[in-house]
Amino acid sequence: MQIYLPIAELSMNLFYLAGIGAAVGFLSGLFGVGGGFLLTPLLIFSGVPAPVAVASVTGQVVAASTSGALSYFRRGGIDLHLALYLILSGVLGAFGGVATFSALQKLGQIDLVISFGFLILLGFVGTLMLVESVRSLLKSRSGMVVRERMPHQHNWVHGLPFRTRFKKSKLYISVLPVIAIGGVIGFLGSLLGIGGGFVLVPALVYILRVPGSVVIGTSLLQVVAIMAATLMLHAWQSQSVDILLAFCLMVGGVIGAQFGASAGKYLRGEQLRALLALLVLAVAIRFGLSLVLTPADIFSMAVLGPGRG
Amino acid sequence: MAMRPLIVLALMAALAAPALGQEIVPEVAAPAEAAAPAETPSATLEAVPLAPVEPDGAAQPGQERLTAALSTRTVSISSSFDGETLTLFGVAEADPNSGATHLEGTYNVVVVVVGPLQSRVARLATRNLGVWMNTEQVSFSQVPSFYHVQSSGRLATIIDPELLAAEAILPSAHLQQTDEADPEQRARFAAELERLMTEEGRFAVNEQGVSFLSSTAYTARVSLPHDIVTGPFLARTYLVKDRQIVARRTDSFIVRKVGFERFLGNAATQYPFLYGLVGVLLAVGTGWLGGVVFRR
Repeated sequence: MQIYLPIAELSMNLFYLAGIGAAVGFLSGLFGVGGGFLLTPLLIFSGVPAPVAVASVTGQVVAASTSGALSYFRRGGIDLHLALYLILSGVLGAFGGVATFSALQKLGQIDLVISFGFLILLGFVGTLMLVESVRSLLKSRSGMVVRERMPHQHNWVHGLPFRTRFKKSKLYISVLPVIAIGGVIGFLGSLLGIGGGFVLVPALVYILRVPGSVVIGTSLLQVVAIMAATLMLHAWQSQSVDILLAFCLMVGGVIGAQFGASAGKYLRGEQLRALLALLVLAVAIRFGLSLVLTPADIFSMAVLGPGRG
Repeated sequence: MAMRPLIVLALMAALAAPALGQEIVPEVAAPAEAAAPAETPSATLEAVPLAPVEPDGAAQPGQERLTAALSTRTVSISSSFDGETLTLFGVAEADPNSGATHLEGTYNVVVVVVGPLQSRVARLATRNLGVWMNTEQVSFSQVPSFYHVQSSGRLATIIDPELLAAEAILPSAHLQQTDEADPEQRARFAAELERLMTEEGRFAVNEQGVSFLSSTAYTARVSLPHDIVTGPFLARTYLVKDRQIVARRTDSFIVRKVGFERFLGNAATQYPFLYGLVGVLLAVGTGWLGGVVFRR
C-alpha cells in the first residue's frame, strides 16, 4: 500500500516503512539505543532525500526513547541535575550541528561528512565495545570475577575546576567535561541524524564514572531532549521534517521495541554488547566502503533550494 | 474524475472511425470539436481549448490549427498518490479563417510536457587520498523538473534540425543557464545532468509517444512519476508538416497536493515552529502510548 509523503514529495510503501521501523525498533529495544544510526542510512538507501531522512528520523528516535526514559524516571533511574547540564549544552551543540548541516549541504559535501562521521564514530565506538565485551565474555567464561569499576575512582577529568555535586550519581566533578560531552553529542546527533545514546553511555561510564543505576535513564532523557530540539531546529530551518514519514516509522518502532526488550531478557549483558558492537561495526564498514569503493556513478545531482540537498 | 468516462468514450469513438477518415463521426458529443467549424469549447469535456498562447507558426501563413484537451487539468496528490497518467487528445483541422476547408498531406505532432523549473547542481566525485568526494560542481538554473518530449516519428526526420534547436524542443536546450564560465566544463556537466535526469525518468524523449487515431486526430499519454514536483505544468503541442511547424498550442495543467497532504505541506513551510512542536508532541505521545499499551 503506497502512501504519499508530503514533505519528501514521493510515495513509499506503508508496510515497508512500518517494517523497517519495527526492525530497527526491535534492535533499539534489544540494545537500549535509539536506532537512528541504522534508520537514517536505511531511509537514504530507500530513496528518501538525505535532509528529509536525517530530519524525520529524529521523530522516531524521540518516540523510541520516550517510553524507556519514562520507565526509568518512574524507577528513579535518572540524575536530573546531570541531565540538565547535558541537555543545555546538547541543545547548543544541536544548533551548531544543524547550521553545519545546512552549510555542508550547500557545499555538496554532506554525504562525505555523514559517511566519514559514521565511519569514525561507529568504528571507534564499535571497536571499543567489541573489545570490552569479548574480554568480559572470556573472563566470565573462565570463571573469573569481573571487577566493577568503582564510582569513586578518579581520573584526570576529576581534577578540572568548577566542580559541582551530582547527588544522585554520587559524583563531585567539574561541569566542564559534562558540558563538553553534552555539546559534542548534540552536535553529532543533529549532524548525523542519530540520538547518540551509544556514544553517550560509554562516555558517561568511562569518562565521568556515572554509576550504572542512573546511566541508561539519564542518557535516554538526554537523547529525547536533544532529538526533540533537533526536530524543532530542522522543522524551523530546513523544513524537511516529514511528520507522516516519522509517524509510520514511530508506530513500527514502538511496537518493535517492545519485542526487542522482551528478547533482550534472554541474553546476557556482555552478549548483548558484543552483538551491538558487531552491528555498529557493520554499519561503520558499510560507510567506509562507500568512501573507498568507486561509486557506480561518479556524477550526482541535487536540487538547490530550501530543504533539499 | 467525472469526465474520465467521457474521455474513454471519445477515444473509443475515435478508434471506431475509419483510420484515414477525414472527419470523425460526431456520434458522441465529445468529438464534436473535431468537426466544429468555429471555436466551440465542448463543455461536457471541460476541454478548455485555450486559444494558442502563441499564434500559428510565423513560417507559413497557417491553414491549420490545433484543438486539444487533457484528460484532467488538475492532478491531485492525496495520500494514495502513486503517479498518474494523463492523456492528451488533439485534432488538427483546417483553420476556417484561412479559407481552407480540409487538410492534405502528412502531418506529425510533437508534444512537450514541461514541469516547474528548479535550480539543480551536477557534481563530480573524484578520488582524493583514496577517498571519493565531490570535487567539482556546476549549478544550472531554470531547469525543468519534468520534461517529456513525445512525437509521432523520429524527430530528426520529421522536423528541421535547426528549427528543433531554435524552438528549444529537446531537453538539452533547457540546461543552458549556469554559473560556469568555461564552455567545455559547462557542456560536460550539462550532458551529465541530462543523463542523470533521464535515468530518474524526469527527462524523456519518446519518438513513438504520439499516436494518430485518424489522419488528423492524435493522442499522447503523459506518465507522471510518484515523486513529481508540484506546481504548474505546460503541454506544448507542435503540428509539423514538411519539417516545418505549421501550428502550435499550449495547454496547462496543475499538479498539487490536496487535503491532508496539502495541509501538512503548507504547515511545514508557513508555521515551521508549530509544525515542529506538533512533531515533537506526536513523537513523545506515541512513545508514551507504546509504553502504556505494552507495559511489562
